[in-house]
Amino acid sequence: MATTVVDHPGGPLGPPGSTPRGVPTGRAPGARLKLRNALIGWTFILPNFLGFAVITLVPVLTLFYISLTNSNIFGTATFIGLENYVKLGSDKSFHTALLNTFYYAGVHIPLTVVVSLSLALLLNRKMRGAAFFRTVAFFPYITSIVAIAVVWNMLFSPEFGPINQFLGLFTDGDLPGWTVDKDWAMPAVIIVGTWRDMGYYMLLFLAGLQTVPAELHEAARVDGASSWQRFLNVTLPCLRPTMFFVTVMITIASFKVFDLILVMTEGGPGQSTLVLSQYIYTKGFVQFQFGYASAVAVVLFFICILVTVVQFLYNKRKEA
Amino acid sequence: MNRKIMTAVGAAAAAALTLTACGSSPDAEAETPEGPVTITMAGWDLAAVPEFQTLADAYTAANPDVTVEIKEYPAGNDYDTALTADLAAGTAPDVFIVKNLKNYITFQEGGTLLDISDVAGELDPATGGLDSMAIDGATYAVPYRQDSWVLYYNKDLFAQAGVAEPDGSWTWEDYDKAAGELSTALKAAGSTATGAYQHGWQSVVQGFALAQSDGASLEGGDFGYLEPFYERAIALQDGGAQPTYATVTTNKLAYQAQFGTQQAAMLPMGSWYIATLVKQQASGEANAFEWGIAPIPQLDASTAGLDNTPVTFGDPTTLGINAGIDEAKVATAKDFLKFAAGPEGAAALAAIGITPALIDDTVTETIFGLDGVPTDDLSKFAYSTHETLPENPVGAKTAAIQTILGEAHTAIMSGSVPVADGIAEAEERVANEVG
Repeated sequence: MATTVVDHPGGPLGPPGSTPRGVPTGRAPGARLKLRNALIGWTFILPNFLGFAVITLVPVLTLFYISLTNSNIFGTATFIGLENYVKLGSDKSFHTALLNTFYYAGVHIPLTVVVSLSLALLLNRKMRGAAFFRTVAFFPYITSIVAIAVVWNMLFSPEFGPINQFLGLFTDGDLPGWTVDKDWAMPAVIIVGTWRDMGYYMLLFLAGLQTVPAELHEAARVDGASSWQRFLNVTLPCLRPTMFFVTVMITIASFKVFDLILVMTEGGPGQSTLVLSQYIYTKGFVQFQFGYASAVAVVLFFICILVTVVQFLYNKRKEA
Repeated sequence: MNRKIMTAVGAAAAAALTLTACGSSPDAEAETPEGPVTITMAGWDLAAVPEFQTLADAYTAANPDVTVEIKEYPAGNDYDTALTADLAAGTAPDVFIVKNLKNYITFQEGGTLLDISDVAGELDPATGGLDSMAIDGATYAVPYRQDSWVLYYNKDLFAQAGVAEPDGSWTWEDYDKAAGELSTALKAAGSTATGAYQHGWQSVVQGFALAQSDGASLEGGDFGYLEPFYERAIALQDGGAQPTYATVTTNKLAYQAQFGTQQAAMLPMGSWYIATLVKQQASGEANAFEWGIAPIPQLDASTAGLDNTPVTFGDPTTLGINAGIDEAKVATAKDFLKFAAGPEGAAALAAIGITPALIDDTVTETIFGLDGVPTDDLSKFAYSTHETLPENPVGAKTAAIQTILGEAHTAIMSGSVPVADGIAEAEERVANEVG
């Protein structure tokens, strides 16, 4: 009963047996019933909507407004139109942060997709200890980011870290400085980011793999398709909905990356790992330029929206 | 029935609105209140930082009618973030601590701080950092504690290495030489300790450079004064007299552990570490060894020696009054600030090992009377005699400039850019981004 009402709150038709169509609204019992059902419907979504409105919608709308002011959060903010956005055009730090964000996303997205899909394929087989390995792969995702950063920083330590000691076995040349080298800091952060995220996306891919019909694989095998051909022509097409979802999620997460970089490198050395989210944080909460920080946030918002829309359109075209 | 409920709710809401409106309007004709008064004060990490409660209790002991209630905020940088949110929302306590000097001007410009020039005028002019709090002739926060950077040294390691201890006349050259000699001698004796430990913070290099260099200024846009200080810092780590920046940051080395477990013979650090070291030696967290403090090394001989006043740096921690305070409580809050920043507050803070902004003989005696604090004359001199300049001089551009200089620091210290290039880049960025 309730489901019907929720699905069509205030819809054109009332529940069976309600007022005949054409009856003018007013105090007619049918109209009241319709209103009542609509209200009940609204009450079901109200808690969720209220939470969304108060915690997300209002702040986001306010953000758009603040980005047009010179707010330092206290006192009155003066409306300055698009001045903040104009300033972004010549702000080299913003450009650095923007490039770094694309660098991170550009490498992190494909790398995570490949690694987590490979893991999922590997652990989708019937093998001993599969559950154990799945848990192991998922573990980084639920570990505290601060612990991850501290441990990885130690592993990456140029002089005493195990990673460079291991690499030193194979080469006498210069070893990477990792998080304290301006050229290696970003690869180091991407490695850790991928390592942390792979378990979660592996789980999503594993779920997706369960929907691939076994008959298709069998038919392909009978037709003499190699395992690579079966992967390309059976597994991948069947995984498309999952792939789409995973890519969108990783993309948004990559553009918004913040915590990992803040605790691992604080954007350094210099500005070599400064990303947009951290730039927003610094401008806002360190330098109190909330107007300007909001403008950067709006830019990040549109980047995320744009990339997601492109992905949706691409997916739709493929579906058609 | 429904209508009745609606009417009742509406009436209640209207009444509530009226009442809140009445409650929030300041009482214009208020005078110094009689009877019990409670003022609120912001503090952080009350379990580990006893100074707020100490000041509150000391004030109540002297003024039984007044209760100072501490409202706990998160520690670290989150203090400013949380306080900012409360100030913007109008729910911040009556009195709050301006923890980071670089944010002082933002609070003042935002109209969140009451003009308390009258309180400042009544304080001892010797109160450390008081002068630096003036903005256009008015003062909005008064220092109640001011740590200054001094040189901690491990007497046992000096003796073991056969190197002469600091005598108060050291310049940075003497310090570098000693660090090198200590490292060599300690290494020869099979020890893993280094001559010096300079923590990874930008202030360890830039704070001294700004305070000691002639004509150095943050807002001038010329950071050439940083160069010799960075050259020295790099040379120290390249020469093995101090752990490299890469090791300090990637291994998250703690200065307390480095000095406390005798992994470094010298440590430039703020005076807050005295109380920590004493506590850690008592608890066994730090090794038992003889140590002392010396004046921080100087740029040249003109400010070095026991007949001079050594120049060092340190930001005062200050107290301000929320501009949104109930008028009736202003007089009490001002009196509390006068107390906290004055000799009585100083004595109360010294008793728990904290360095107040006003260091008089009583304070020095109290600090050096605490168990475990070294009692030699050089330590007393280093503690009580210094010209301490702020690391973050009050200015509208300070926070933005410090961010850029902080990024230059990590780039230079990690060896990502040569010293001169890193500084030139910072100058260019300040010119472009801060103006």
